[in-house]
Amino acid sequence: MSLVLQTVADGLVLGGIYALAAVGFSLIFGVMHVINLSHGVLVLIGAYLALVLSNSLGVDPLLVLPLVMIVLFGMGYCYQRFLIQRTISGPPLASMLLTFGIALMLQNAMIWVFSPDMKNITPSYAFDSFKIAGLTFDAVRVSALAASLVLLSCLALLLKFSHLGRLIRATAQQTLAAQLCGVNVRHVYALTFAVSAAFAGAAGIVIGVILPFSPADESLWTLNAFVVVVLGGVGSPAGALLGGLLLGVVNTLTAQYVGPSFPNVTMFLMLVLLLLVRPHGLLGNAFSASR
Amino acid sequence: MRRREVLRGAGWSAAVLAAPAIRSARAQAAKPLVIGGSVPLTGAAAETGLNVNNGYLTAASYLNDVLGGVEIAGEKYKIELKLFDDASDPARATTLIQRQIDDGTNFFLGSFGSNIVLPTAAITERAKKPMVQTGGGSDAIFTRGFKYVFGMYPRATRQFTSAAALFKTLKPAPETYSVIYNNDAFSKTAGEGVKLACDGQGFKRIETYELPTKVTDVSSVLASVRAKTPDMLICVVHDQDSLLIARQMAATNTNVKLLFQGLGPQLASFREALGKYSEGLFCSTYWDESVPYKDKFFGGAKKFAEYYRSKFTRPIAYHTAGAAACIETYVLAMQAAKSTKPEAVRDALAAADFETFYAHIKFTPEGDGDALLLGGMIGQVQKGKLETVFPDAARSASPIYPLLPWDKKA
Repeated sequence: MSLVLQTVADGLVLGGIYALAAVGFSLIFGVMHVINLSHGVLVLIGAYLALVLSNSLGVDPLLVLPLVMIVLFGMGYCYQRFLIQRTISGPPLASMLLTFGIALMLQNAMIWVFSPDMKNITPSYAFDSFKIAGLTFDAVRVSALAASLVLLSCLALLLKFSHLGRLIRATAQQTLAAQLCGVNVRHVYALTFAVSAAFAGAAGIVIGVILPFSPADESLWTLNAFVVVVLGGVGSPAGALLGGLLLGVVNTLTAQYVGPSFPNVTMFLMLVLLLLVRPHGLLGNAFSASR
Repeated sequence: MRRREVLRGAGWSAAVLAAPAIRSARAQAAKPLVIGGSVPLTGAAAETGLNVNNGYLTAASYLNDVLGGVEIAGEKYKIELKLFDDASDPARATTLIQRQIDDGTNFFLGSFGSNIVLPTAAITERAKKPMVQTGGGSDAIFTRGFKYVFGMYPRATRQFTSAAALFKTLKPAPETYSVIYNNDAFSKTAGEGVKLACDGQGFKRIETYELPTKVTDVSSVLASVRAKTPDMLICVVHDQDSLLIARQMAATNTNVKLLFQGLGPQLASFREALGKYSEGLFCSTYWDESVPYKDKFFGGAKKFAEYYRSKFTRPIAYHTAGAAACIETYVLAMQAAKSTKPEAVRDALAAADFETFYAHIKFTPEGDGDALLLGGMIGQVQKGKLETVFPDAARSASPIYPLLPWDKKA
C-alpha cells in the first residue's frame, strides 16, 4: 500500500511541474490559436538565465524567479509583436512554421552561448529529503511543486480579477467585439504572449532545479506541454494543472506497475482516447463560451 | 641604432608574413587525403559529439601542422577532414554520408551514438569504403557481417567484462545486482552485456529496469530499488540520466553498496554537479593521460593531451583521444598497406596490430575492438578526481567499497 501511495505522491509532484511548464502554451493556444513550437526553448532560456543569475549573484535559484520572468516577459512581448503577429491572420501552418524555425535558431544560439553540455542548477537543499507518514519526499521536487502551485494560482487570479485578465479573456472570446470596444487587440496578444513566456521561464527555473538540462531538451518540453493541454483543456491554469497532475500520476503509476519504459505509451494512448472522446480536453476551452 | 632596430623588426615581420606562403607552397606539394564523416555538434548527442569532433581536429592539426603531413608509400599527404554536423539525427547523417560517397570520398570517420553509426555504417559498407569510429558500440554494428567498419571499443555486450571481473575481487564480496538501461540501441545492448558478465561471475540479478530514451523522473524505479535493494546498482544510461539517477538517489537516500554509472562520472561537469555526492561512484573509462602507450606521431598520451590543451579549452575526454586514434589508425593502416585504395586500407585495418597513444589497436574479425586490448578500464571518483581502479596494470588507486550512505557524504 505504501508503494502505491509513494508512487501517487511522486506522480503529483511531477505533475505539478508539468502543469507549470504547460500553462503558457495553453494560454497562447487558447487566446491566439497559435501552437507555439518554440515553447520548450522559452522554458530552457528560463533555466539558463536562472543558472547564470543564481551563480553570479550567489543566491537561491528560486529567488531569481521574478528577474527571469521580467526578462522573458520582455522577450515574449517583442517576439509576438514583431514576428508572430505577422502570421496571426494567416493559416495556422504559418505560425507553426515560424515558431518551429525560431525554436531551431534559438536552440543553436543556446548551444553557441552555453555549449551543448548538460547543465544543472544545484540549490543548497538539492539533496535533502523528508518523510511524511512513511512516504519519502525529495525536498527539491516538493519546493518546485510549491513554486508551481503558487505561480499557477497567481496566473488564475490575474486572469480572473485583473484588468489585463479581463482584456485577455474578452479578446479570446470575441476578438471583433473587443476591438469595437476599443481594446488594442495587437497589444493584448503581445501581452498574452509575454505572460506566457514569463511563465515558461518560471517553469524553466523549476525544471532546472530538479533535472539536468541541455539545449537538446527543448522538444521534450514542447511535447509535454502539448499533451498536458490536450488532456486538461485549453486556456486555463486549472486545465493545465489537471492535465499536468494526470500526466504525472499516469507516468509514475505506469513506470511502477507496467514498466519504466512504458509511460510514453500510456501517455499517447490517453491522448488518442481523449481526442476521440473529448477533443476539448477534460475542462474544455476556458475561453470558448461565447464562440 | 634605432634605424637598425626598425630594420630588424621589419625583417621579422617580413619573415612572419612570408611564413604562410612558404607553408602553403609546402601544402601544395602534399596530396590531400580526404576523410569524411558526420558528427553531432547539435542535438541530444552534442556534448560527447563535440569531444569526438575535437579529437578528429586535434589529430589532423598535429599531423598536418606540426609534422608537416604524413608519408604513405613514398608520397606526402595532408589530412583533409570533411566533417558535417548531423544534429544527432540519423536521417540527416545518412544523407550527409551518401552525399560524400557520391562526391568520391573514400574514407570515413564515425559519428557519436550507435543509432547514428549503424545506419551510416550500412551506407559506407555498401559502397565498400572503410569507416573507423569511436562512437558506436552496439552489437548490431558488428554482427551484420560488415567488413569495412571498425570500432575503437569492444561491442556493447563485451564492454562490461572487466567491470564484472573487478566486482568479483571486492571484499566483502557483493552478491546481488540490479541493472538500469535506456530503451535505445547502445544502452539496451550494454544492459544485456551487464547481465551476461554479472551472471557469468555468479552475481544474482534482483531486477532489470528499462527506462525510456528521455527520462524526467526515476522516483518509481528508486522506490523499487529501496524495496528490493541490491548490493550493486549498475546504470548503463546516458550521462544526463546518470546525473538524474544519482541526484534522486541522494535526495531520497536510496543506498546501495556500489553504484556503477557507465557514462557520467568521467565528465568534470557531472562531478561538479554532484559535488561530494559523486564520491565513490564507479564508471567505465577507456583512456587516461597516464596510460603508458607510445606512438610514432604524438609520442605518448601526455604529449597528446598537452597538444590538445594548446588547441582547446574544453576538458579532455576519452572520446577525444579515441577519435584522434581513429585518424592515427587510418594513417598507420595506409602506411602498412602502402596504398590509399579503400580495399587495401580495409585489409590493413583488419590486420591492424599498432600501438598508439590511445591503446594497442587490434580489431576482432567482426570489426569491434579487441576485448582485452581495447576493453575498458574502471574508474572511481575519489576526492573529486577520477582514479583508475582496474585493471591492476593501469591502477592509480585502490577501489573504495562499500560506498558510504548518501547522508554520510553530506
